[in-house]
Amino acid sequence: MSCMKPISLLGHERSITQIKYNREGDLLFSSAKDTSPTVWYSINGERLGTFDGHGGAVWCIDVNWDSTKVLTGAADSLCKLWDTQTGKELANFENGSAVRTCGFSFSGHDVMYSTDKTMGRSCEVLFFDTRDQSQLENNSPYMKITAPDSKVTSATWSNLDKELISGHDNGALCLWDLKTGSMVEEIMEHTKGVNDIQLNKTGQLFVTACKDSTSKLFNATTLEHLKTYKTDRPVNSAAISPLYDHEAMDVTTTSSRIGKFETKFFHMIFEEEFARFKGHFGPINSVAFHPDGKSCSTGGEDGFVKINYFDSQYFEFDFEV
Amino acid sequence: MAEGEWEQAPVRKKHLDRNSEGTDDRPLENGMDEEEPNFSDAEDFIDDVTDDELLGDLLKQKPSEAVGIDSVVVVDNIPQVGQERVSKLKNVIRKIFSKYGEIITNFIQKKMEKLKANVLKVSYPFLYSYGDIPDDWQPPEKQSFVDHCNLRWRRNDRHLKNTPSEGVLVEARKRWTETFVRWSPLGSFLATMHQKGIALWGGEKFVQIKRFAHPGVQLIDFSPCERYMVSFSPVLGVNEEPLAIIVWDTRTGYKKRAFHCETACQWPIFKWSPDGKFFARLSSDLLSIYETPSCGLLEKKSLKIPGIKDFGWSPSENILAYWTPEAKDSPARVTLLEIPSRKELRVKNLFNVGDCKMHWQTQGDYLCVKVDRVTKSKKVQSCNFEIFRIREKLFPVDSVELKEVFCFQQSFIELNVFSILYRRNKEKKQANSVFWSPTGQFVILAGLRKEHFMATDVEWDPSGRYVVTGVSWWSHKVDNAFWVWNFQGKLLQKCAREKFCQLLWRPRPKSLLDKEQVKEIKKNMKVYTKQFELKDRQNLTKASKEQIEKRQKMLTDFQSLQEYLEETFKGLKEERLHLRGGVDTDRFDSNFEELEDEEEVEFFLGEEITEIDEFEYE
Repeated sequence: MSCMKPISLLGHERSITQIKYNREGDLLFSSAKDTSPTVWYSINGERLGTFDGHGGAVWCIDVNWDSTKVLTGAADSLCKLWDTQTGKELANFENGSAVRTCGFSFSGHDVMYSTDKTMGRSCEVLFFDTRDQSQLENNSPYMKITAPDSKVTSATWSNLDKELISGHDNGALCLWDLKTGSMVEEIMEHTKGVNDIQLNKTGQLFVTACKDSTSKLFNATTLEHLKTYKTDRPVNSAAISPLYDHEAMDVTTTSSRIGKFETKFFHMIFEEEFARFKGHFGPINSVAFHPDGKSCSTGGEDGFVKINYFDSQYFEFDFEV
Repeated sequence: MAEGEWEQAPVRKKHLDRNSEGTDDRPLENGMDEEEPNFSDAEDFIDDVTDDELLGDLLKQKPSEAVGIDSVVVVDNIPQVGQERVSKLKNVIRKIFSKYGEIITNFIQKKMEKLKANVLKVSYPFLYSYGDIPDDWQPPEKQSFVDHCNLRWRRNDRHLKNTPSEGVLVEARKRWTETFVRWSPLGSFLATMHQKGIALWGGEKFVQIKRFAHPGVQLIDFSPCERYMVSFSPVLGVNEEPLAIIVWDTRTGYKKRAFHCETACQWPIFKWSPDGKFFARLSSDLLSIYETPSCGLLEKKSLKIPGIKDFGWSPSENILAYWTPEAKDSPARVTLLEIPSRKELRVKNLFNVGDCKMHWQTQGDYLCVKVDRVTKSKKVQSCNFEIFRIREKLFPVDSVELKEVFCFQQSFIELNVFSILYRRNKEKKQANSVFWSPTGQFVILAGLRKEHFMATDVEWDPSGRYVVTGVSWWSHKVDNAFWVWNFQGKLLQKCAREKFCQLLWRPRPKSLLDKEQVKEIKKNMKVYTKQFELKDRQNLTKASKEQIEKRQKMLTDFQSLQEYLEETFKGLKEERLHLRGGVDTDRFDSNFEELEDEEEVEFFLGEEITEIDEFEYE
């Protein structure tokens, strides 16, 4: 498949760590190893603004469902909550180690982020209610989960804010009950670190991207392993297309290391690769589908964010069944 | 008397018998011990000690008559003679056969009226008579026939598959081999290597045909006819029994002969004659030729050829070519030798020889010897090609001199073409290897590691239509894969396989068609092309049909899950609305109409700069 010429977004000075669309898909948020998370117009690639205040590489970024707030986590051990429109800092959560993943809940009220396991500090996942000013001001989470032995490398809210799914650097996937803060299920389907977890449109399935060169599809409620997508490189990021939700959904995976910096498209059900594209001069660290499913964006180690519009071939292509 | 006691003191018993005549002895014995014993036997003493008891250990070594009829010569159909001339006849026969050994017994028996058999017994190497056959001798039971399936089943499938679709997995087994695999020369067997030895597999289902125990085996080689296999193991054997190199019979699985490996040598150590009747090995100043099936030295001795450097068999006849370098006053020589007669067919003297390389043309019609000429200072000066015409009378030799030859590779052609690659090729392309296609029409100047990044192997398929380049795990630890190209250089497919080690095309069995039939087919090519294309298309649709069936199953399986998920999703609608303050976000565009704000977005389309010449407008 050949994509139309992508729009290159050059604004970051260092490699991109994560990209996310808002729910409508008109805005694209990116975090990078420089200190300025950025928001762009997805339609033309115009830079709308930056969220300045971090003092280290920003590892993760998220936006709530109505696009009013942005959450970022960085290597300076800070997790910050921003006002999207003004770029003002609303809250600053201080921690003992770098913030690896962060996310808004379905309702957008609660936020979650995880910290790295370093220098005797264990890896923790912390939960705040943004409506409670005291929690924000006093840096006091309403819940704290301590990951037993391995570091959380990716995480997402699930089951309408009742559960959390975390991927660990030893390949484990855990399901947490957020009422009690206890682990419900732990599975070892992967053998190496889980780089990314992304839910599908309905939040009932999720796809993982793993260093063991596979990407896998799971049932978000049961953690049942459904499909495996094999590549020959570690997978940095994976996403499920929102467009073909009835029969042909696509999983996009990106691989890194010596050459082969490609985004591959797999048929979600048949596990077969049907398309791929290049576009970065280095590993691709993050991939996201536009909510309308007609384009997808990639953020690479080369510092570029690229918005790729699919060509007609992509939409016409269908597996013979 | 108890046996135990007997064993302890056999002599004492004799002693007792002697003195007391076997009765009431103990007190007496004690008294007599003090005196000089009387060693002579009593007069009425009968020695009841058998030889066995006395020198059983020695008797064990006594040669016994061999069991078998190896030493019996039966002479049939001797002339019928009258009674008076029988002794004369006997003498004649005796005279004839006494040449071969000492005759122990002979007798003439009148079996029937007409037939007379004369049975002779020859003393060397065995002694035997018919009487030793036990009365209840039974003929050996007939072994049931083990069907090793049709090793040549592929001949039935004469249609070379033309469809460049995905490779079809024929058979995969875990731990099938421990190191590497080999095909036999005609493709009948697949040899797998194990710590304990070699296993041969064949037939349609790759069943195990035979196993050969050879601990630590590292290298194997087959005779061109596949009847014999040679294996090498560096594991040192105990005792004097040679273990390093073993020649096996692939049909029976028996070890034919084992050899020591005295010196470091090149593999394959044995070169086989084209029909597999002889195999030869080179050692210093000696050329040892063995014959099959006995695996004994031909005429019981090796050929002494001082200074012999290299030799090679003709691919079609039992003719050997070898060369010897210059020594003192004698020139270097290339000799053609006929086996088993050992007749020198042709000797060619050569001078100023640095090195010789012998190449046989595939049909055995020509032998090309590449001779590197050197000056006195041992510098390679030029190169000669001596071409022996094997099919012509007296083996005439053509000589071609060439300068600056970079690389020479024999093309495996039926035509009379040898190829020579000049050095200028090297300058143009970074070619470091040359690979001829099996039919000789094409050649790859492989700049290995260029077109296919890091390629380590190049393999032509037996039909010469495809070529595979591979990156072996043995050389590189990443990006292991093999790529399939057609002969035109078009990349057909890339197959990435983690830890891919080795790829070998299976040799195809020789064509059953003779030259005339091949000609006939070539003539009617158009007719056949149509048939084959039809078959190809059928195969293609068959393959895709299977694929589609597989997909359909996956689809139906997944659809049931999706239906279930959809139901639960619908059921949770209230909860979702509640969490997002009553806003329906189920569809991406579900609340677009509620958005009232309009945003203006500018698109940068391009820039055009036109310089206006001011003076023109003045």
